[in-house]
Amino acid sequence: MTHKRFWEWFIFPGGIWIALLFAIPLFLVLALSFGHVDDFGRGVYGFSLDNYKDVFDATYVPVLLRSVGYALATVVLCLLIGYPVAYFIARYGGRYRYALLAALVIPFFVNYLVRTYAWVALLADQGLVNNLLVDWGLTESPIQMINTPYAVIGGLVYGYIIFMILPLYGSIERMDPSVIEAGKDLYGSPLQTFIHVTLPATQAGILAGCVLVFLPAVGDFVSAQLLGGPDTYMVGNLIQDQFFAASNWPFGSALTVVMMIFLAVWMVFYLRRASKGEAEVL
Amino acid sequence: MSGEAIGIQGVTKSFGDFVAVDDVNLSIAQGEFFSLLGPSGCGKTTTLRMLAGFEVPTEGRILLEGEPVEKVPPHERNVNMVFQSYALFEHLDVEGNIAFGLKRKKVPKAEITTRVAEALELVDLSSRAKARPNELSGGQRQRVALARALVNRPRVLLLDEPLGALDLKLRRQMQIELKAIQREVGITFVYVTHDQEEALSMSDRIAVMSEGRVAQCGPPEEVYEHPKEEFVAGFIGISNLLEGKVESGGRVRIGDDCLAVPDLGEGHADGETVQIAVRPEKVAVDEFEGEPYRIEPDMFTVEGEIESKVYLGVGNQLTLKLVNGSRLVALEQATYRMRADEQWEVGQRVKIGWHPEHCMVLS
Ligand SMILES: Nc1ncnc2c1ncn2[C@@H]1O[C@H](COP(=O)(O)OP(=O)(O)OP(=O)(O)O)[C@@H](O)[C@H]1O
Ligand SMILES: [Mg+2]
Repeated sequence: MTHKRFWEWFIFPGGIWIALLFAIPLFLVLALSFGHVDDFGRGVYGFSLDNYKDVFDATYVPVLLRSVGYALATVVLCLLIGYPVAYFIARYGGRYRYALLAALVIPFFVNYLVRTYAWVALLADQGLVNNLLVDWGLTESPIQMINTPYAVIGGLVYGYIIFMILPLYGSIERMDPSVIEAGKDLYGSPLQTFIHVTLPATQAGILAGCVLVFLPAVGDFVSAQLLGGPDTYMVGNLIQDQFFAASNWPFGSALTVVMMIFLAVWMVFYLRRASKGEAEVL
Repeated sequence: MSGEAIGIQGVTKSFGDFVAVDDVNLSIAQGEFFSLLGPSGCGKTTTLRMLAGFEVPTEGRILLEGEPVEKVPPHERNVNMVFQSYALFEHLDVEGNIAFGLKRKKVPKAEITTRVAEALELVDLSSRAKARPNELSGGQRQRVALARALVNRPRVLLLDEPLGALDLKLRRQMQIELKAIQREVGITFVYVTHDQEEALSMSDRIAVMSEGRVAQCGPPEEVYEHPKEEFVAGFIGISNLLEGKVESGGRVRIGDDCLAVPDLGEGHADGETVQIAVRPEKVAVDEFEGEPYRIEPDMFTVEGEIESKVYLGVGNQLTLKLVNGSRLVALEQATYRMRADEQWEVGQRVKIGWHPEHCMVLS
């Protein structure tokens, strides 16, 4: 028992770290969100709900909805692209499994911003893809690819798909392959077996992947900033503007708080599902 | 039993250069309890998987009730499999697991309900219908796997070491239950096991496999009493192997002694070397001096000494060293006349005997 006491002391360095660098700034953001801007554009603490009223103003609600919509589209696309990839590597990768996984992970060592710039170079009106299309005579003038919602969502998918593939890979690899055979043996066609056996058996990985992609995607600003235009403005861009361009910190804080509450609801939903799933495994 | 349920004709399965199943020919009758028995890696599972449709034979034909099925995918074959790991669907409860096949076959709801209830009854799990697989014991999971297959009323049930994961006591109990269920439903069972006792006690016929081949196929009594080759004699039960030379008149010389072997058969040239096998339980041991107690007058006898003795409770397992240096194992039952711990010293000189008709001549 004394041993256990001893080890319990180790919670303090990490605990203090989190308190200083996470909880205090969070508290400051929360406090500032009730404040206002003075004549010199500086944030002043106070107590009013005006900022929150503004968040749900007709100007900003579409931005919030758009962010959620783009993030959901990103999740769906990541799942549709990621599942076959993860399935193939886990089940047929054989001894190349880890090499294939590494090949997927390595691009993510490059900074997200830089990777997204690469897409700008590819998709711009004078970019590589359009130049090739024009040179080959497939189109007469460049196709508008950048500054579209598709480009923004594409950037988000590209940026976060690894967070979908890794948990999916884990759950597919852990699955007993004879369960799939049992499904086929019990008269399930390949499609039925996939729907009624494989999907439920890998449900935990699907759920984890969806949450891990949704959370960063919904708050992202890089993709919309580089690949989008005014019509693809996301809540991340809005918040960033308040802190830099518009210099309205209290309003930016209120936006942040609303986003966090929204995400927290999702997290609670996920954690409850996950802990239920775990109870079933035991 | 009438008609052929399964025909395996010249089936070979290779994985690259490796031949896992080598020119197997078997005919399994309807309603038969047929076992595939053999050591690890001999190709039992591969054979079973070809019957289920998970592997396609490299060569040869597989007939299910006369229809060739080599190319038919598993979900279109009217056979079901009980997997060694059970492969239960963890996200479904016991009922859901059992109903899975019927749902895929689009059986009407009401019929599914009654058939699932019947299947639960059959395996004595009615009270656990709503349990998840992870809430069940090993034996219960095994029974769910069995019910999940049987509820579809397949023509053939394939079982891959279904009792392998159970402890010995539960295994014995499940063997009896399985056999009873098979009699009740009358479905052809193809049963894979590497446990020879299990195969002997449950099967109508056994195919003993070795390195992808069928070494011998027949009823348990035949495979046990008349093994055709050394591998079968050694794999099913312990066998004592003695080398002998064929002499004229159907006699075989072992060391200094000569013995008339009724089972010798035709086609052995004089002077040919043959293997003689004797089962341990057929070997009688007596003290060298004194009245014969176990050895009977018409037995072939040799002289030897006790090299070691293992006390088994119901008897003794004695290792005997013959004068010519070869060794024999004798299994001696304790009887109402004596206890197993009362006799035999290591090093004691003994007389060893067996009836010549219990000699098995192996090629
Ligand atoms: N997919 C495969 N690829 C390559 N070799 C295989 C494959 N499946 C089986 N084998 C080989 O075929 C041989 C027979 O395998 P099988 O699984 O049929 O043995 P078994 O008799 O069931 O053994 P056990 O009692 O250990 O289950 C083994 O040597 C195995 O390594
Ligand atoms: Mg096997």
